[in-house]
Amino acid sequence: MDERELIARVRTGDGAAERVLYDAHVDRVYRLAYRMAGDDELAREFTQDTFVRAFERLGSFRGEAKLSTWLHAIATSVVLNGLRKVKRLRRETDLEDAGGVAAGRRDAEPDLKQRLARAIDNLPEGYRAVFVMHDVEGYTHQEIGNALDIETGTSKAQLSRARAKLREALADFAGEWVS
Amino acid sequence: MTEDRVDRLLQDAVQDYHRPPRTPREEMWQRIVAARAARRQRAIVLRPWLRWGLGIAAVLVLGFAIGRWTAGGPGPAGAPAAADAARGADRVNALAYRVAAAQYLTRTEALLTGFRAETRAGEPAAQFTAQARELLTTTRLMLDSPAARDPRLKSLLEDLELVLAQIAQLSSRGEREDVQLINQGLDQRSVLLRLQTAIPAGPGPVRTQGAL
Repeated sequence: MDERELIARVRTGDGAAERVLYDAHVDRVYRLAYRMAGDDELAREFTQDTFVRAFERLGSFRGEAKLSTWLHAIATSVVLNGLRKVKRLRRETDLEDAGGVAAGRRDAEPDLKQRLARAIDNLPEGYRAVFVMHDVEGYTHQEIGNALDIETGTSKAQLSRARAKLREALADFAGEWVS
Repeated sequence: MTEDRVDRLLQDAVQDYHRPPRTPREEMWQRIVAARAARRQRAIVLRPWLRWGLGIAAVLVLGFAIGRWTAGGPGPAGAPAAADAARGADRVNALAYRVAAAQYLTRTEALLTGFRAETRAGEPAAQFTAQARELLTTTRLMLDSPAARDPRLKSLLEDLELVLAQIAQLSSRGEREDVQLINQGLDQRSVLLRLQTAIPAGPGPVRTQGAL
């Protein structure tokens, strides 16, 4: 069954076709959600929300882009908006807890991967999305541009700045890497 | 150390960044199905136009049913008890139509007033098409009901049918000429004024006493 036929069947409410569409795309959506959220429950929530919205809005999908492109635009929007909400909630909770926990953690992680993870977490939102999508999940700049609604050149520029920030954040490890 | 070398090392190391587990396909699918079912349920319960539409349709159907029952109801002898029952049913019948008509006219007035004000302020007309379609269905029900025996109301309903059909057919771009024509029609045939006159006076959105 080709994509157009599949979409047409989903639009008529064919449950089997919905499942085929879901199976074809769920891995990539979930992987991206997990990479961005770093939390299984959040990744599940974002993935579910993505597909619920996609099925609801499929009627307005005009087929100008590939279905995967359209779906990933929904997924990135759901993930980024969801993470903003989580961040806001955590900030409020941290304020209530007088911020004691987070402050002590920084020096307790000498491991490179943990430092790298922390450095990626601390990237500005746009840089982090582009970096994770490109360098971690292997999206092309074209795909990133479509998903985040930015120019391909902007995606390249943000990736370059993200890498520069990471190099800077991990400068003291550089000697160990090359030795 | 070159930047390329650091980048290569970075690329190797980042593969462990938030490494995802196996995709929990089945669990998520079950939750998606449940979430969609819940949303559909909520949409049916909460969609206000649907609630109004069903309410008006129900009152009209009730009116028809009572009308038919009373038309074929009493026997040939015309006993006083049967005549009383018929008069009582007529009163209920008339009240049902008045309620339905008052609800319909109030909603149509709100739609047309909003349409004229918004489109004159340059706002898009597309926001009114769905409601116009729904009211158009009710207009046709009203035209087929005994409410249309009143020539004044029938003439108003016919004008409303035309205007609502025009609004319902507006494309999402809502061409300016079409919108202007609709507004001109409203003014020339004094549709809003006649509509306001036809709506019974009273405090609530559902007014049953007055001109009808």
